Amino acid sequence: MEYRPPEIDLNEVVVKYRPVVSFKVKKSLGAQTPDWEDVVNEVITQVIEKVKKGEFRGESSIGTFIYTITSRRIVDHIRQKTKVLRSVPEPTPLPDPCKDAESRERARILAEAIQQLKPKFKEVLNLYYYQELSRGEVAQRLGISPRRVSERLNYAQKLLRKMIKT
Amino acid sequence: MKRCTFEDRIDSYLLNKLEGQEKESFEEHFFNCPSCFRQMEERDVLISTIKNRGAWLFKDEAATEQRNWVPAWKRALSSFTPRQWATVGVAAAALLLVVFGVLPRFTGPSPQFVLSETEVVRGESLTLMSPIIDVKSVPAFFEWKSLGQDVEYKISLYNGGLIWSAVTRDSRIAVPEETRQRMLPGQRFAWQVRAFSARGTLIAVSSKVQFQIEPAE
Repeated sequence: MEYRPPEIDLNEVVVKYRPVVSFKVKKSLGAQTPDWEDVVNEVITQVIEKVKKGEFRGESSIGTFIYTITSRRIVDHIRQKTKVLRSVPEPTPLPDPCKDAESRERARILAEAIQQLKPKFKEVLNLYYYQELSRGEVAQRLGISPRRVSERLNYAQKLLRKMIKT
Repeated sequence: MKRCTFEDRIDSYLLNKLEGQEKESFEEHFFNCPSCFRQMEERDVLISTIKNRGAWLFKDEAATEQRNWVPAWKRALSSFTPRQWATVGVAAAALLLVVFGVLPRFTGPSPQFVLSETEVVRGESLTLMSPIIDVKSVPAFFEWKSLGQDVEYKISLYNGGLIWSAVTRDSRIAVPEETRQRMLPGQRFAWQVRAFSARGTLIAVSSKVQFQIEPAE
């Protein structure tokens, strides 16, 4: 019987996975790395090409397929960068002012919301996310159970979501 | 709604606490799980904001951290999970049930008190009757409550050290003249009676009662 590769809507794949690939690339290279978007575009291009060539055979999920391409491209990028930096340092391009302003505004609104939280929520965010203590350590510090720490973290985020929407 | 099992790793991933295989499997997961990815994006904004502005956001907390010190016992108690608390509660209830409900039904023979290597007292009381307060003249008799038949009593009289000791099967005993002559007015004395069974086992000991012979005017 003739093999037929799974039918993939490439437009849908690009729309769905661009943010995921972007997240992984930024996390691996650092959001300050100027050419992270180039790497993302290269990954998306590779995905489209490979799917068109029938290299995606449905043996794994499309998500895992894209994850593998993304991871390999990041490793390649880091290798190339290391070679370039050894010869001539590349000039750092300026960050996109529009995007930068947008995320700064979002962070400002969120920070103001955090400021308005009750002390019991603020202190748990401080110890767990800012000071990076474990749940157990936060629990010990505050004299509450680790389960209560998780509940407070979840509730704090729920409140922040609500405050930002209004 | 069912929670994804990977949700718990979002924070660890964003705080760079995952490594190697664990990190890779989580990354592969969020490429396949839109729900985890959505939560992670949101959490990432929160963590980045906290990391970048933490010094400003938590300046008050840093100042009050010292004041919010929690005693060690409270910290220890707080580490109990609700399930552990439930276990402690059940154990305490069971203990109370045993102590107040079950144990009183199994009251065995009277408790035994070891006085020395050879003396054993079973919890019967021996009450002294006379003399138990100061007396005007040297007492002619010592008297106590009888513990029944076949009981032998050993009386001891002290004045600093033992000055007289005697054995009787009666519940009173006359003080020999020789001893009476040694009991001078103004002095303090103490006396005690021990009861022995027919087999010679100590079955009761009275308390030590003190009395004084009032000085002659």
